[in-house]
Amino acid sequence: MSSLITSDAGRLSATRDSDPRNYVRGIFTLARVIVIGLALVFTLFPVVWIISASFNPTGSMATQTLIPTNVKSSADLFINFTKLLNNPQVPFWNWIGNSLVVSVITTVLSLGITILAAYSFSRFRFRGRRSLLVTILLVQVFPNILAMVALYLMVLQIGQYIPFLGLNQHGGLIMVYLGGAMGVNTWLVKGFFDTIPKDIDESALVDGATHWQTFWYLVFPLVRPILAVAAMLAFVGTFNEFILARILLSDRQNWTLMVGLFNFVSAKFTDDWGVFAAGSLIAATPIVILYLSLQKYIVGGLTQGAVKG
Amino acid sequence: MAAVTTEKVYGPQEPRSFNFLFGIVVRLAVLGLVNAVAFWLGYNLWRDGNTALGIVIVVIALGVTVINLWPSLWPLRWMSPGLALMALLAIYPIFYTVYVAFTNFSDGHRYTKAEAVALMSRTKVLAEGGTSYQWQVYSNEAGEYALWLTAEDGTTLFARPGQPVENVVANESGEGPYDESGAPATIDGFSLLTGGARFQALRDIQTIQFGTEEAPVGIKSRNEAGAFVSKWQFDADRNVLIDVENGTEYIPNEVTGDFVAASGATAPLGYWVPIGFQNFTRIFTSIAVSGPLIRVFLWTIAFAFLSVITSFAVGLMMALLLNGSGIRYKIIKSLLIIPYAVPGMISILIWRGMLNPNGGVITSTIANLTGYTVPWQTDAGWAKAGILLVNLWLSYPYFMLICSGALQSIPSSIYEAAEVDGANAWNKFWSLTLPLLLVAVGPLLIASFTYNFNNYLLIEAMFQGGPTMIGTNAPPVGHTDNLISYTFRFAFGAGGTRDFGFASAIAIIIFIMVGLLTLLQFRFTKRWEEVGDNV
Repeated sequence: MSSLITSDAGRLSATRDSDPRNYVRGIFTLARVIVIGLALVFTLFPVVWIISASFNPTGSMATQTLIPTNVKSSADLFINFTKLLNNPQVPFWNWIGNSLVVSVITTVLSLGITILAAYSFSRFRFRGRRSLLVTILLVQVFPNILAMVALYLMVLQIGQYIPFLGLNQHGGLIMVYLGGAMGVNTWLVKGFFDTIPKDIDESALVDGATHWQTFWYLVFPLVRPILAVAAMLAFVGTFNEFILARILLSDRQNWTLMVGLFNFVSAKFTDDWGVFAAGSLIAATPIVILYLSLQKYIVGGLTQGAVKG
Repeated sequence: MAAVTTEKVYGPQEPRSFNFLFGIVVRLAVLGLVNAVAFWLGYNLWRDGNTALGIVIVVIALGVTVINLWPSLWPLRWMSPGLALMALLAIYPIFYTVYVAFTNFSDGHRYTKAEAVALMSRTKVLAEGGTSYQWQVYSNEAGEYALWLTAEDGTTLFARPGQPVENVVANESGEGPYDESGAPATIDGFSLLTGGARFQALRDIQTIQFGTEEAPVGIKSRNEAGAFVSKWQFDADRNVLIDVENGTEYIPNEVTGDFVAASGATAPLGYWVPIGFQNFTRIFTSIAVSGPLIRVFLWTIAFAFLSVITSFAVGLMMALLLNGSGIRYKIIKSLLIIPYAVPGMISILIWRGMLNPNGGVITSTIANLTGYTVPWQTDAGWAKAGILLVNLWLSYPYFMLICSGALQSIPSSIYEAAEVDGANAWNKFWSLTLPLLLVAVGPLLIASFTYNFNNYLLIEAMFQGGPTMIGTNAPPVGHTDNLISYTFRFAFGAGGTRDFGFASAIAIIIFIMVGLLTLLQFRFTKRWEEVGDNV
């Protein structure tokens, strides 16, 4: 993939070398350090603050201090976490479970769908190939939340006959997510397949393999590591999706994590700040670790035109 | 390596032909299943008046079948599941949105005529006249009730809630002793209630429907039971809806989609009908609508534009400042992209907490320093500033990443040439770095504009569109609402009827805007490519 971040070729040397006078250089360096420092504070303060809030035993917004005070035992540090997980009004584990179920199923199915489509776009030449590719690109332009009313009504109508694809069902939500799968990932995954030389396929086909065998035993194993990145992007995208989940899921027990957190906060934010912080920390940490560890590949994917959803 | 693998997989001929046959059988089975479900679903949708969706589902299933059976279409087989889902859930909804925009789809008019009639007929009342029964009541250990019914002609029935009414024989079914009407003391685990127990049970069983949903039976009075009937009955021949309780006739009005009685009263459910351009004329003629809508529209554009500009400027600045090798740059960059990795909803809610007027750390710090409590939630200007600040935090790391990559792909020889020509740092930035950067980043800027144009998450999670504009209440519209959250408020928001038709009309405006933006993006992409080729 791309090595955009690590490459050092063509570094801008403008600020350092253009002016020979030392004091100007000194001012530049100082300004640079100050700006970078401000950016670090601006960027990291909310993260530090929420971590502090989650371990702050007072739990309320107004009394929070950066370093938790009044900590008498280690149990005090985790009091927000215990409160969160023992509150019947906030079925936090349900929400996490719902989000995981919906995201995992959506990721697996949507990748299955897009891998097959992308492989045939990458390898086969047939009439209408270009126009189909353009159609997919055009469909992707219009995010499906624009059609939220239509999608809501369709799920309502289909759910009258197939209940598990109806409103307030995870099946219905997954179905709607899958509708967007083709548009989002086909181009990206096709790009992956394009990087595998076609000679490999051709030699297998000459040996009498079917297209399916060539795909499954030869090409698919080669792109598997890269597909992990596409899978993660799909997973995180679904995990973070809010509006469709909010429209389609009505029962507290069935909410996904994002809908749950949003509604939890709407109720009484200032008093439950510590509990909210604990929940945020539990939910965000795995995602952040995933992102940072795959950072290099994500940047490559981003520069191909994906915008974070 | 490839050769080794092929040897392994493609051995003798027999397994291949077996696989071949097996593949065909599986394919036919799957196709059969898909078609069976699709036709069943399509038929049901068509029967209940959702004809378009029914037809689309059947047509898609037939398309998938043709693709998978027609030999020359084999490359499409691989993408048939994706194409089917895309057609049903990405393309059809666009057309359906257009269609809904021309209807009065809303609460009270949510169903087709057939569905509305079917739903209303679920309301059951005890019929006047009709078969009437003497009743005895039974209960079992689980506290469930059952009825022993004796009709005037001597027929006896045994009825439990949710189960079909059974025929029973007086003086024979169940276990004795039998009372004078022939009802047993115990039957099927139920025992007869008499005297005071019967009287007490009366209160509970008055509201119970015995028997199945199709043919329910209930208690009418102390001595009489009778069949429940639907309160609403539709006479298809005369095209009238009849309230069975009082005989009032409601005539369907195909223009408004209501069942209207002679007195002007309407039945509880209406149905949706096409209403032409009414939703669109409402946008442009109603002051109550168009006033707030224009402000929402302008803010949507301003928000998207300012978000992109500020995030790009800060992102580019940081990329330039951190454009060096060395481990400390890498570490700083990794720290700066953390906001990009945190789920958006969580980041926004954290900011919402920090800007909270009652103890949020940023608000209270500013108040301590300056004595001014910033009214983030109640002042339109501050709310907008807060949203832009949060969006800067959310999105500048993205532009920093993009710009870092793009900067490193600019060859250093260009700068050396410029230096020879006597260019200073300022010249080099404006004449070389920025134009070359825009080649790579230009399309992404427009994509980001489009994304922010439809940024529902930030608007909703931050202030729910608030503070509310004065004079808007059904539904309330806020100063920070953008078009997509405005649409949401009309379709699903609190404080108004769910007006799907009108919301769809707004959505069409957004569709057109997004389409125009994308056109622009494509033109830009081409133009920037030309620029890139010339360099």
